[in-house]
Amino acid sequence: MAEIYIDAGTTWTKILEIKDNKKTYKIIESGKLKSLYSNCKKATGHTVIKTEKYINEAVALALGAKEYLKKDYTVLDLGSRDIKWVKYQNNKFKDMDWNTACASATGATVEMLLKFYNLKTEDLKFTKEKYAITCGIFGLEKIMDDVSHGLEPNIAVSKFIHGLAYNAFTFTKNSEDICISGGFCENNCFIESLRQYANVTPLGRFVLVDGLLNEN
Amino acid sequence: MQKDIIAFWGYPEKDIISQTKIEYPEASWVDLDINYNYPDLKIIPENYCVIIKNIVNNAFYLKDRIIKILAPIGKDKCDSAYFISEILINEGFNIVQTIFEEKCEDYNSLKLPISKSKLPLRKKVELITNNIVEQKDYSNLEECVPAFGFWGVPPNDLSILELFPDNTEVFGWIRAVEAGYPGDYKLETYVKENLPTIFFTQAFCSKTALAKYLANKYEGLFIDVDNTPNNSAKAKIEAFLKLR
Repeated sequence: MAEIYIDAGTTWTKILEIKDNKKTYKIIESGKLKSLYSNCKKATGHTVIKTEKYINEAVALALGAKEYLKKDYTVLDLGSRDIKWVKYQNNKFKDMDWNTACASATGATVEMLLKFYNLKTEDLKFTKEKYAITCGIFGLEKIMDDVSHGLEPNIAVSKFIHGLAYNAFTFTKNSEDICISGGFCENNCFIESLRQYANVTPLGRFVLVDGLLNEN
Repeated sequence: MQKDIIAFWGYPEKDIISQTKIEYPEASWVDLDINYNYPDLKIIPENYCVIIKNIVNNAFYLKDRIIKILAPIGKDKCDSAYFISEILINEGFNIVQTIFEEKCEDYNSLKLPISKSKLPLRKKVELITNNIVEQKDYSNLEECVPAFGFWGVPPNDLSILELFPDNTEVFGWIRAVEAGYPGDYKLETYVKENLPTIFFTQAFCSKTALAKYLANKYEGLFIDVDNTPNNSAKAKIEAFLKLR
């Protein structure tokens, strides 16, 4: 019988299965979680299945990235609809923030933009210019304005993503060393944009499920 | 309708409370700061301190029953309270403006049995605010060894306090109220240096500046909540309590 650990995001669910001491990582659409799994050992996020133990997402993030936190990195997780970060100092918790409400800096907005303009993540490339997107709705308006004036959609979306990366940087209180968790690790435009402001280490999409495993 | 309510907000000056109790021994006392879910009359702007909105909505809802309102307007409350006291005077309420800015002369003599007790945090805050009028003796309460601190004012939605463990010590304006010095800045801004503390304010309250400053100074967590706490605020508190 496999041990199941689940990080159920709004759009994607990250899964760690352990059977015979072998770890298997999977990503599935969150809409399919209930039909594929009925329960799990530990869960975080918006889980819809039974779990023996539920762990707060920021706690799972901190436990999953503890090796980096020990080195005084800020660990930042960008999800579909939320953004959160944790920072330690001298191996002790120092600060954190979590915005679960605003989509201006999150993955769902970018996925919608890619679909709307029929783009792939690989079509995006770092641009020096950025939109100031303190509000996602105003950010979309700027993209549409520029595209209607002839700018290529991939450049406009890249400018949006640069603005998003800048927001993420300021949200972490201008941290110098940032580890990224979540789907944005696979978005080179975002990573390159964030590198204009901080040293960036992508950790991949399974930090939170690893944190569940580390939790006692 | 018979007028039978003495209303107040904040912590009116003690002598005025005592004098009013003697003058109106049968009256019910109503704290207008509290959210009783009376209709929002939209007199106050949408983006404004919810406690001030509570005061105005409660006052108008109970207007026919209110004998007078004891209205702190000094440093023991806030500028917004002064402005709404003037608005309410203009709207025909009997307002007694009070200023309670007395400073404590010996901080070491303060007992603060409720703030330091083992009671659940919500109960602590409710007892302290109820005791503004009741003035009961709680000196027999058992003291806790604090693991966390809660700094701030009584939240509009008290359920946020249920996230905290019982060994949470109370600081900020609530502690100053228990001490009997609601306008004492030094007492209001005191926290224990190495005690992990959450600094709470209502959004759009001028105390947000103080809360954020103190949270940075003492490496605590700054939380501002508008009406009721959203998932973001609750999750942050949960994580802070677990990770510290």
